[in-house]
Amino acid sequence: MMSKVLNVLLIEDDVIEVMKLNRAIASLQLKHNIIEANNGEEALDVLQNKGELPDIILLDLNMPKLNGIEFLGILKNDDVLKYIPTIILTTSSNQRDLLECYKIGIAGYVLKPLKYEEYITKIENILAYWSINELKQI
Amino acid sequence: MSQDKIDILQRALKREKAARKQAESILEQKSAELYESNQKLEAAYSDLESTYSQTDSQLQGVFEHIVDAYVVADVEGNILKMNASAVSLLGLKSIKDDCNLMELVRPDQYQDVFNAFNLVYKEGGSVSNLVVNITTKDQRDLIVQINASVIYDNGLPIASHGIVRDITQAKYEKEKLIKSEERLATLIQNLEEGILLEDENRKIILVNNKFCEFFGLQVPNELIGKDCKTVIEQIKLSFKDSKKFIDDINIAFNEKKPVLNEDLETVDGRIFERDYIPIFRDGIYKGHLWKYNDFTIRRQYRKSLEVERYKYSSIISNMNLGLIEIDLNDNILMANKSFSEITGYLEEELIGKRGIDLMTFGENRELIEEKVAERKKGKIDSYEVPIKRKDGEVRYLLVSGAPNYNLQGETIGSIGVIFDITEIKNLKFQKEKLLKKLEKSNDELYEYAHVVSHDLKSPLRSINALVSWLKEDNKDNLDAVSLQNIAHIETTLEKMEQLITDVLEYSSIGSDDGEKEEVNLNILVNDLIGILHKPSHINIKVLNTLPCINGNRIKLQQLFQNLMSNAIKFIDKENGLVEIDVKAQDDYYQFSVKDNGIGIDKKFHDKIFKIFLSLNKRKDSTGIGLSIVKKIVEMHEGEIWLDSEPTKGTTFYFTLKKL
Repeated sequence: MMSKVLNVLLIEDDVIEVMKLNRAIASLQLKHNIIEANNGEEALDVLQNKGELPDIILLDLNMPKLNGIEFLGILKNDDVLKYIPTIILTTSSNQRDLLECYKIGIAGYVLKPLKYEEYITKIENILAYWSINELKQI
Repeated sequence: MSQDKIDILQRALKREKAARKQAESILEQKSAELYESNQKLEAAYSDLESTYSQTDSQLQGVFEHIVDAYVVADVEGNILKMNASAVSLLGLKSIKDDCNLMELVRPDQYQDVFNAFNLVYKEGGSVSNLVVNITTKDQRDLIVQINASVIYDNGLPIASHGIVRDITQAKYEKEKLIKSEERLATLIQNLEEGILLEDENRKIILVNNKFCEFFGLQVPNELIGKDCKTVIEQIKLSFKDSKKFIDDINIAFNEKKPVLNEDLETVDGRIFERDYIPIFRDGIYKGHLWKYNDFTIRRQYRKSLEVERYKYSSIISNMNLGLIEIDLNDNILMANKSFSEITGYLEEELIGKRGIDLMTFGENRELIEEKVAERKKGKIDSYEVPIKRKDGEVRYLLVSGAPNYNLQGETIGSIGVIFDITEIKNLKFQKEKLLKKLEKSNDELYEYAHVVSHDLKSPLRSINALVSWLKEDNKDNLDAVSLQNIAHIETTLEKMEQLITDVLEYSSIGSDDGEKEEVNLNILVNDLIGILHKPSHINIKVLNTLPCINGNRIKLQQLFQNLMSNAIKFIDKENGLVEIDVKAQDDYYQFSVKDNGIGIDKKFHDKIFKIFLSLNKRKDSTGIGLSIVKKIVEMHEGEIWLDSEPTKGTTFYFTLKKL
């Protein structure tokens, strides 16, 4: 079965977390493109170039400066960007954060597991799911 | 014969002739007179005769048409003649009807009637006003009055005639009158007031029982007819001021004007009210009436009423609650001391003013005006309102108002009880502020705990990833010991992760705003038994059906889960047994979770619920589980304790409030 190659915007301030995703994709032998942004502001800069918008966004919540929820708010207020499915990838099991995110509009809320092996499984599933989804053509 | 002789003879003859002639004419005249007299006599006679017969028939007509019954009867009593009235009175058919009067007389009076008539027949005279009971021919019982006289023939009595009058009704009326007089007399005799009636000569006409009782006199009948002055002299000693008693009587007697409600006090402490009422008939003084009313008890009531009134008015003026009375125009009529103290206005500054004008401000004015309007409609209500004191300070008042009515039940204003709740209000404000602050800091704590947990957990994930990479990248270069150490790192990371999770959970219990609902613990616990990881040698039993509880479902599940998994965890016996039970108490259910595990030494029973205190160093024990349990129980207004014997087992008890 043919699956799409996704452009994934990873918004994550932790270097090791970025490494984890890259290594996971590599070890899974997936072709997806990872665009990195270290925080919300950087991510907004990336998204300014609306010609090359990502297919999905993986968003960490706890970040310095513009945090995940604030970033999400800006994103969902943008008439173009609001269509990008955004999946929260966080260690926070805070129910209030979860509710707030769903209220603003997210495509998923995934908790980072302690074990790396479990992490790989989760990432594999997320990417597999979105690669078979029809997405809005921008 | 001489001429002379002849002459003499001739003259004599002449004289004789003349005399005879004269006598003849006198005779003739007398005879005419006689005739005339005779004629007159005849006329007079016939006149007399006609007058007589006329009178007779007139008389007869009178009797026949008389309203009263007229009867003529023979000596035996047989009716010879009667008029129409008699027919109807005696119940006969017509005036021709035969009837013996004596047969109508009531048998017991027969002899009396017979005697009365017999006497008249023998000795003459008449029967007058003889009252007789009769039974008429048509069987009516009547009382009649008879007036009759005897008719004689040649000096012998042959009959009697008379009038029979029906007095039944009159008799009855008279009896009624007597009865009602008797009733009146009885009434007066038994009145609660003492009554003394004197005539114009100060002789006692009437005195009742009460009067005698009041003043220790002999029975009323013995006083009647006596001089009132002697009685007065006798009773004056009963009164405290006997001189005034006599003086007042004399003044009233002399002036002959009514004197009402005079107060008199007796030596033994009774109080009387006396009325003097002179009696006039056709403007002529006929005597007077004295009325004595014993007011002692009523006076005492009045006195105790005054005492009560004094008591309440002193309570009102000294009580801590403000009290005001206002009229229909909201003007203050009365304000007590406390109200003055609360508002800072003196009583004289308040009276006649409108409290609304003096003390309200801003939108509160409308509130009060609305409330006052409602109260005028009869609504009883209480409300809170801030006011400005005279010195400008704002105080909070609790006003409880009710309409005020007069004796006729008309609204004449309202009465307000005012309680200064400023202090309470301030405390409430303070409490609200504190609560808000607490809520905020709880919130902050919750957020903080999550942030901390995130910040602590993130490095753990990194370490875990890095360690796996090390392992992965050096698969061939690591010896067994290194691999074992890496495994230790991973276990330590897991334990740390669990610790952080538990701490977060513990700190979230109080602040989590989970809704309370009805939770069926029986279903909850049985579901848990299915989910819980338990070794096959351990058996979990629920001994009784568990009740429904009002609480947070997730927390209650956590409570049972922690206790049950604790029980499972510490079972060291070959056949493990966990028993869950419940006992209903007054307001609570007492639950128990019993195991046959290692038991807990008595000295640790208190410490066991403290956070981070794990008695056993185990991979799967952070020492927070029981702290969470305790916190959940307390959140549901319950208590938790335990009973345990080392090596035998442990029973945890806890209570939860009934629905």
